[in-house]
Amino acid sequence: MIPALDISTSALVAQRLRLDTVSSNLANMTSLERDERGNMQPYQARYVVFQTDEATETKQGAVGVKVASVQNEQVEPLYRWQPAHPYAIKEGPKKGYVAYPRINMTAEMVDALVATRAYEANIGAMELSKNMAQQSLRILG
Amino acid sequence: MTPISRLPLTPPLPPTAAAQPAADAAGGQPFKNILLEALNQVNTMQSQANEAVQQLVTGGDVNPAEVLTTLQKADISFRMMLQIRNKLVQAYQEVNNIRI
Repeated sequence: MIPALDISTSALVAQRLRLDTVSSNLANMTSLERDERGNMQPYQARYVVFQTDEATETKQGAVGVKVASVQNEQVEPLYRWQPAHPYAIKEGPKKGYVAYPRINMTAEMVDALVATRAYEANIGAMELSKNMAQQSLRILG
Repeated sequence: MTPISRLPLTPPLPPTAAAQPAADAAGGQPFKNILLEALNQVNTMQSQANEAVQQLVTGGDVNPAEVLTTLQKADISFRMMLQIRNKLVQAYQEVNNIRI
């Protein structure tokens, strides 16, 4: 029973993190960030990569989940014509344009919904494990 | 008269406590030690739960889901220990009631 609770908890933590990245993407829909060379780049949408977590593996092979990494998407930015903007592109074919992130709001909201439902499903699984543990106390009367 | 055998402890205890008594029962460790070990482990889980709750309410960097799970695990192991205690007390009373 206890390993089942641990596995469900790992799922809760992972889904919570997924919702955090969705919130981050929605909050930064039009923001820029500084990359490692010091230039201002459009914010790239983050997404989480889930992986099985060997630390919670039981003898029978049931495993929990962990967030392996948070990756950045690489998509073409959205260009807006703003020649007076301080971060407008100075030269090249896109001179005078500012690069904004291209974040698909619908996809992010659906992702948030999936994360919420997965969270609820895991809470349901935990309730079942808890019930089973309490029922097994009836063996002793 | 057959000697009274030790009560089986392995199924109801939390899994961490289960391996130890099973291994030592064959080695003849006193029953009292097995019981005390199990009590210690339950106590550890309770204090872990206490700590986790304290960190949560003082705004520490701890996931609420993990805190609640720690609480639930401590609760389950405590209830199991309580049932075992009831059974032991029952057995002791039955032994007491044996008329000489």
